[in-house]
Amino acid sequence: MRAYRALLRKDLLLEWRGRELVPAMLAFVLGAMVLVRFGLGGETLAGGTRAATGLLWVIVVFTSMLALVRSFAQEREHGIWDGLLSTPADRSAIWAARATATFLFLALTQVVAVPLFWLFFLQEGRSPSLGVLVAALLLADLGVAMLGSLLAGLATHVRAREVLLPVMFLPFMLPLVTVAVRLTVDTISPQTRGFHTSQGLGFLALYDTIFGLLGWALFEFVVED
Amino acid sequence: MSSSDPAIRCDAVSRRYGERLALDRVSLEVQPGERVLLTGGNGAGKTTLLRMLATVLRPHEGALAVAGHPLPREARRVRPLVGYLGHEPLVYPGLTAGENLELYAALQGAAPDRVGAALELVGLERRRGDLASNLSRGMRQRLALARAVLHRPRILLLDEPTTGLDDDGRERLRGLLAAHDGTAVISTHEPEWFAPLHVRRIALAEGRLA
Repeated sequence: MRAYRALLRKDLLLEWRGRELVPAMLAFVLGAMVLVRFGLGGETLAGGTRAATGLLWVIVVFTSMLALVRSFAQEREHGIWDGLLSTPADRSAIWAARATATFLFLALTQVVAVPLFWLFFLQEGRSPSLGVLVAALLLADLGVAMLGSLLAGLATHVRAREVLLPVMFLPFMLPLVTVAVRLTVDTISPQTRGFHTSQGLGFLALYDTIFGLLGWALFEFVVED
Repeated sequence: MSSSDPAIRCDAVSRRYGERLALDRVSLEVQPGERVLLTGGNGAGKTTLLRMLATVLRPHEGALAVAGHPLPREARRVRPLVGYLGHEPLVYPGLTAGENLELYAALQGAAPDRVGAALELVGLERRRGDLASNLSRGMRQRLALARAVLHRPRILLLDEPTTGLDDDGRERLRGLLAAHDGTAVISTHEPEWFAPLHVRRIALAEGRLA
């Protein structure tokens, strides 16, 4: 636990001082939403609420890619892996700290992204079920962060990592985005709420549990020689 | 580790990088408390051997044991015993000298008060709050040295430790090695500088014992 806390502190301190990831993620979210909003020229999305929420989740996934391609960049660029791996610290602590930092960065980005999404794409007086939406976002962020950190560790020693990481990561996002979109739509259309909501949140929790266990168990084999 | 175990034992150890053989059936033993210099030209295999002993690389062939523990199977038991100074300083440029050592103290399971002592040992106590990126090359090397000895390891593995050090830094390194009563394996291109420390020399050439 001491190693995990120290590694997380390191990740947060480096981001605070370098301001490398979160501003880029915020700029991407803002840029993507503004582009689509003005690209529509004042029209609504043809697919209605489902298309709009799909857009939100696609932006969430691509924003997370920005954070994930820079995961372990310092360790790689400054040869720090040798320092970390020569210590007796549990390798899963490295993964857990990186996943936690990514989760926090994603959650911070969504504090801006979600109100913008409502402002730009859902202005017809429909009020979302905020509790369900926040739960869905946090569970999805956790899954993205845990799986993404595992795959980022896997790609860290590969030369074409910037290409390989999205290729590995995006297929795993399909079930998560599908369920997250349904959940978000349910928060806006109350008549379908209840059955879908509990089922959807349960699925996201299961997804997190699976990739949490995989990350914890496999990271050592992923980063060691 | 029993009293009869050598500190380090390599038995026909080989390591490849792709098609290139970096170490070719190297066999050697280092006794507890012994100081050994690894010498040889660039690409001789010194760094590869040290990285294997530090448990960050696995041998592709042969048997390797540190303090009686076979590697890589018992790497977890070896890591607390070893202090590794690599080619790079292995510190985060965006963290201060103190923060880097606090991180490594947590990873090594060393007491937090070891940070101040280690910085003092290398003469960096007044630079504790400076970002590593703002330290000179020699200062970063001192910081790397402090990181390697932070947890008081029994076995020091030092890869060209004099790189970038000024006269004061070199004297501190010599004092640190003289006071270290454990084993030390040091790769260097300056074997004469280490001669007063009563070292045994092992020469490598193109991945083999010369």
